[in-house]
Amino acid sequence: MQFWGYDLYSLYNVPPARLAMLFIAVFVGFYWAGSILFRPFLRQFVKNTPGANDIVGYILSCFCVFYGLLLGLIAVTAYQNVSDAGENVTREAAALSALYEDVSRYPEPHGQNLRWLLRDYTRYVIKYAWPLQRMGIVPEEGTIRAEAFHEKLLDFQPQTPAEEILHAEALRQFNNFLECRRMRLFSVKSALPTTMWYVMILGAILNMAICWLFDMRFLTQLVLGGILAAYLGTMMHLIFDMNQPFRGDVCITADAFESLYKRMDEE
Amino acid sequence: MKKPAVEDAVPQPALLSRRRALSSGAAATLAAARGLAPAVFAGCSLGIPEKARTVTVGLLHSQTGPLAISATGLRDIELHAFEQINAAGGILGRRIVARAPDPRSRADLFVKRSRQLLEEGAVAVFGCWASLSRKTVLPIFEEFRRLLFYSVAYEGNESSPYVVYGGMVPNQQILPAIDWLGSPAGGLRKKFFLLGSECVFPRTANYVAKKYLQSKGMKSVGEAYVPLGNRDFVATVREILASGADCVLNSVNGDSNLGLFAAMADAGIDPEKLPLVSTRIAEEELRSLLPAQVKGHYAVSCYFQSLPTEANRRWIAGFRDEFGFDRVTGDPMEPDWCLVHLWKQAVEKAGSFETEAVRAAMRDGLTFDGPGGTVRLDPKTQHCDKYFRVGRIRGDRQFDIVHASPEPIEPDPYPQIAFPGWKCDWTKGGIERGPEVSIDGDV
Repeated sequence: MQFWGYDLYSLYNVPPARLAMLFIAVFVGFYWAGSILFRPFLRQFVKNTPGANDIVGYILSCFCVFYGLLLGLIAVTAYQNVSDAGENVTREAAALSALYEDVSRYPEPHGQNLRWLLRDYTRYVIKYAWPLQRMGIVPEEGTIRAEAFHEKLLDFQPQTPAEEILHAEALRQFNNFLECRRMRLFSVKSALPTTMWYVMILGAILNMAICWLFDMRFLTQLVLGGILAAYLGTMMHLIFDMNQPFRGDVCITADAFESLYKRMDEE
Repeated sequence: MKKPAVEDAVPQPALLSRRRALSSGAAATLAAARGLAPAVFAGCSLGIPEKARTVTVGLLHSQTGPLAISATGLRDIELHAFEQINAAGGILGRRIVARAPDPRSRADLFVKRSRQLLEEGAVAVFGCWASLSRKTVLPIFEEFRRLLFYSVAYEGNESSPYVVYGGMVPNQQILPAIDWLGSPAGGLRKKFFLLGSECVFPRTANYVAKKYLQSKGMKSVGEAYVPLGNRDFVATVREILASGADCVLNSVNGDSNLGLFAAMADAGIDPEKLPLVSTRIAEEELRSLLPAQVKGHYAVSCYFQSLPTEANRRWIAGFRDEFGFDRVTGDPMEPDWCLVHLWKQAVEKAGSFETEAVRAAMRDGLTFDGPGGTVRLDPKTQHCDKYFRVGRIRGDRQFDIVHASPEPIEPDPYPQIAFPGWKCDWTKGGIERGPEVSIDGDV
């Protein structure tokens, strides 16, 4: 996601706790800086207006309802996105496991070679694909491994009715696995549209700008506004963290594949 | 009535002092942010481009198609080597990123993929199996002036400043194999049938073999070549039987061997009487062959998994820990492993990944203690010294090593018996050309 020429996704490289602190610090810092730099000018608009604080409070509460709804819905969407991607990963691992079981029943040397190719695929997903996904890159070389397996699977010529049934089931399971795999790859780059981020950030700025209009002691302004800004920062961090399913702290891990690989390796 | 602002009711300090206080506060905040930034961003790569911390190498091996059966093991041993190197801190402080596209056993795709790799900045490429693919990509490496590391045994008759050859050449594999087969230990065999895939290696290697057989008073009683990927060997086996050969020198590539061994077994051929002596069969290929069909036949190589040394056992265990308990090692996986480490040594010695610097570092001569013994990179030919070993296939898809050369054999890419007048010395100006040789001519 480009923001004024900067790739904000590089922030995913910051350790999660520090990133949260950074978001809060940026929002609170912005609020405080605005209190010093912009507040005196903004207050000119409401100065000498009777009941100015009541009017500002009313506007702020109206604005917060819409902005809160927007933030809430976006957070839910982002979480749903992560959750769906997580489900796809689990389904892919489950399909892989079932396929592994199917080809284990193949006569040798086909069975061993096919098992070995599936293990190779799983290892690749854990060791190479996942780190790439965490960088927001769609891993490409898993496709080669899946094709290699498919090629070997098609090499097998069933000799008995039982083998025919087994082979048909393995092919069906393979197609199921491919579908889940494709869904996982699609979700690597899924994220909130940049426009939505602009709207959220603008909303946060306006929220803070409205607070600057309040007529109150400077220190009180800093403390109360700072608390609001800190919470806005936390919300933004949460949404940013869930923005891409394979990045950030709230991300999908390779646990399903790791447990499968462990089982494959133990056999 | 005008309502006084809250602040109006509170006594305010002088405006100038407040501004001063605010600007001092802002300055202090900025200073604190600057001071804390390293702590906040410590351990993350923000601001440092990924490319500056890594270096890309290409792994150009067929992972699908008829050669996948042999070449996939090379990809894995290279990945294993680079994973270990990265775990130990990389090379010159940079992590190695291995990119492994699939040329699908097709020469045209080897060209496309190698160009892609080099354009994407691969500093070196480890790859190719068949000589055709190597010869096809060679001009691209020469154009980009980058190094190709080739670990498979090949026919010789080639030398390029941009290729480092880790596999055996005929004087290290085929010629000693003929000597051994003609000796009492090898069964005093005199009549050879030369069989191969319709590729560069079998044609040229068999030309060298025929010249050598002739010089030793032995005979080539027949010769046959089958298309790559072909699995129908019934007619070929009939031809072998009709020739009266007492051994078959087999240079068939990839999964065609499945058909060959099946046809040999179906014809009831006894390996004691008519052994197949394979130059392209290793443990990796045996995984796909039925033990009953291959048991008793031979392979000639520089390395076998059954080599009883501690270094070899450790190497196999390390590979299996990473890639699975049932994985096997063999030739050319072992030479490939050595090539990766020789390249690492050269880069470290050169202090640079730049090709000419690496080549200069190789010119001083490099050695590496590999699982199959110490390997020396010959700076003259950019080939490696090799042990010659003969293995008899066992029922468990492994080899009994029945013969081994006492010392590594120096490489000679241009055996004078086949290519008179040709020599190679990259420390002194490169290739010295002799008369043109036609391998299709009479021997």
